[in-house]
Amino acid sequence: MGVTCVCQVPVAEGKSVQQTVDQLHKKLEQLGGVKQGSFFVDCETYHTTGNASGQPSKLLYVMHNSETPLSCLALYEGGPYLTADANFDVLMVKLKSHFQNAKGHKVESRGARYRYCDFLVKLGTVTMSSSARGISVEVEYCACVVPGDCWNLMKEFMQSFLGSNAPEIPSVFTSKPEGLFAPADCMDTMSQYLELFSKVRKQQVLPGSSVR
Amino acid sequence: MSGSPAVRVSIESSCERQVQEVSLDGVETYVPPLSMSQNLAKLAQRIDFGQGSDSDEEDLNGESRESEWSKQNPDEEGPVKFQPCLWPWDSVRNNLRSALTEMCVLHDVLSIVKEKKYMALDPVSQDPTVAKAPQVFQLISKKKSLATAAQVLLKGAEKLSKSVAESQEQRRQRDFNAELLHLRSQWKLRKVGDKILGDLSYRSAGSLFTHHGTFEVIKNTDIDLDKKIPDDYCPLNVQIPSDLEGSAYIKVSIQKQAPDIGDLGTVNLFRRQPKARPGAQAWHSKLEAAQNVLLCKEIFAQLSREAVQIKSHIPHIVVKNQIISQPFPGLQLSISLCHSSVEKKNQRTSPDKTKPDDHLYVLEHNLHQLIREFHKQTLSSSVMPHPASVPFGPKRLRLAGPMAYDKAEISSLQPSDGLLEKIIKQAKHIFLRSRTARTIDCLASRIEDPQIQAHWSNINDVYESSVKVLITSQGYEQICKSIQLQLNIGVEQIRVVHRDGRVITLSHQEQELQDFLLSQMSQHQVHAVQQLAKVMGWHVLSFSNHVGLGAIESIGNASAITVASPNGEYAISVRNGPESGCKVLVQFPRCQAKDLPKSDVLQDGKWSHLRGPYKEVHWSRMEGRNFVYKMELLMAALTPCP
Repeated sequence: MGVTCVCQVPVAEGKSVQQTVDQLHKKLEQLGGVKQGSFFVDCETYHTTGNASGQPSKLLYVMHNSETPLSCLALYEGGPYLTADANFDVLMVKLKSHFQNAKGHKVESRGARYRYCDFLVKLGTVTMSSSARGISVEVEYCACVVPGDCWNLMKEFMQSFLGSNAPEIPSVFTSKPEGLFAPADCMDTMSQYLELFSKVRKQQVLPGSSVR
Repeated sequence: MSGSPAVRVSIESSCERQVQEVSLDGVETYVPPLSMSQNLAKLAQRIDFGQGSDSDEEDLNGESRESEWSKQNPDEEGPVKFQPCLWPWDSVRNNLRSALTEMCVLHDVLSIVKEKKYMALDPVSQDPTVAKAPQVFQLISKKKSLATAAQVLLKGAEKLSKSVAESQEQRRQRDFNAELLHLRSQWKLRKVGDKILGDLSYRSAGSLFTHHGTFEVIKNTDIDLDKKIPDDYCPLNVQIPSDLEGSAYIKVSIQKQAPDIGDLGTVNLFRRQPKARPGAQAWHSKLEAAQNVLLCKEIFAQLSREAVQIKSHIPHIVVKNQIISQPFPGLQLSISLCHSSVEKKNQRTSPDKTKPDDHLYVLEHNLHQLIREFHKQTLSSSVMPHPASVPFGPKRLRLAGPMAYDKAEISSLQPSDGLLEKIIKQAKHIFLRSRTARTIDCLASRIEDPQIQAHWSNINDVYESSVKVLITSQGYEQICKSIQLQLNIGVEQIRVVHRDGRVITLSHQEQELQDFLLSQMSQHQVHAVQQLAKVMGWHVLSFSNHVGLGAIESIGNASAITVASPNGEYAISVRNGPESGCKVLVQFPRCQAKDLPKSDVLQDGKWSHLRGPYKEVHWSRMEGRNFVYKMELLMAALTPCP
């Protein structure tokens, strides 16, 4: 449990996604990070059906994270969030009549997990229907739970291996009430991932539209 | 005749008593009436003993008189016959007369017999046969009567004894029942047919061991209550399964690795039977001992199962009743089940006393605790009640999903280590801790100059202990306290945290710790000089913890310091190494050095006050009980009084 920041790294010029990822791996290892297995995060989209006509159906996103292997997280974009047991997936199957799975919209990010002292860095390839679309970098600082206190340190750390691609403070943290103790939790991580995946999905539309 | 005046009539009773005299003044004196005895005497005088009713003459006279009177006066028959005033005395008179007659006859006979002329006394002869026959008869009759009496008594006695026996039997039965009730209050019993069986296993407490653990309760009431009851008499006895007899314990010990493995599995050391608690029944101690044997068997079965299943770098050896594993190279941990049945006790007690007791009782106790915890887990009430949609498991694990626990938290919830691994880890920690303590104590006793103090923490874990090691000089504890080490002794490693923030991890080798402490001690001396200089007003010119010059030390590095006196005239240089010891040099002003060649270059006299040559101090000949004291004296000697 710590403060997590998820950002997207653009693919380097003239290189494939895999090569960029390998470059990042090398940089991290030079820094002194130790590889500690792999991770994956995925996201499925469900349409609500049977609601009043004229209103666009709300999208329910069901996400999984290998860091919390026994949990299932359900999010509405900007709306209420739910943390549930792994049986939530079975529940969604039973609620087929109300929630339809948009199978083509499943996005996942898989990659290696590195540990450097108190930092956990996860470099993942974002894939949608088995085509690589981008690179996600998640940095977690395990020693702190208050984002405001450690953001500067995290930014510095990210700059050391991401260079100019280091992001600004994520909006989930800025929207937290100032002054009150508002610890970061897994839901902040997942909403950041959701933003990233939505961006990746929208990105597809642009090059795809030119093909069509 | 009415109308005539009433006539006064006076009535006077007739005077019953006679007037004796009338005195001159008219008072009459009556004759006092006769008293009872006087009256009786008067009446008795009237009796005429001559007139008897049973004499013939008188009868005739009486008859004649009667005939006369009957002729004369037929009306007076009644009074003449009865004679009322003499009738009460008539029988008396007649009896007395007859008695007098008899006495006279007797007197006459006796007087005649005395003369022996006309009458003689002759004894009557007794018939012997008539006399004897009544004796035998008497005997037989006595015998018969005695027999009947005896029969009556016997019947009564029989009844009595029967009732006594019945009450005794009842009492025995009551004792047995009371004892059975007592037994039932502490052990589980059930009735199967006409047998009473009990359960001494831990199955109801959560054990999964497959031993049945059944014991049988036997009545022990065929004891004669008339005789003296032995002290340990108990109306009920228990019969325990044959493989749970005797007593057992688990022996955990760490030894240097035995070069030969020939005699494995023969560890059979017994300790003396614990004395039964006074007041505890025989069955109680028997059942407790049997239960203990069962628990030890379960522990050993679990350990051997794990020893065979779990893969580790160096496999564990399981031989008969012993499990051997190697926690550290050169060391051997042996866990053995020592089970002694009662008969063999006498043979085996003698070898006990020769071998030292390296039994780690703490680990034996911990094994018992761990298996009981395992029992509790299988029987944990936190499993029920549970939501219908969730599989069985502890409650916290059910919450792992909704609370988004990460992997570290989940793994902390799940039991990972088995019994054997836990015990091996604990044994390793105990061994490491004792070896660390031994190392520190050895050093402390060997080296006197910087003193080494160890403050062990009272609060520790089965897997972790900590000790604070201070290196000080005697008498200068407040000044020279820069070397303080916190040692955290874990399962396999020792983590040292220095006061200046360095963290060093040492392995289990005791040489590493010893070398480290020696290097710290040598550093301490130089630090002490630095602190002393502050106190004495000397200036530190240079200080290095690890000098790169001079002989190479095999343990750590040498440290050096140079301090200058307050007026700058003298300087002291100290180099201290763990092996090379300490070397102290003093720098003198040039004017005090006698063998310096005079040079033309220096023209001003002030240059002779600069420090010049060095001279070594014979440190061993210095006065002072330790290094810092000597240094203080040296500094004091080199600071001239103003």
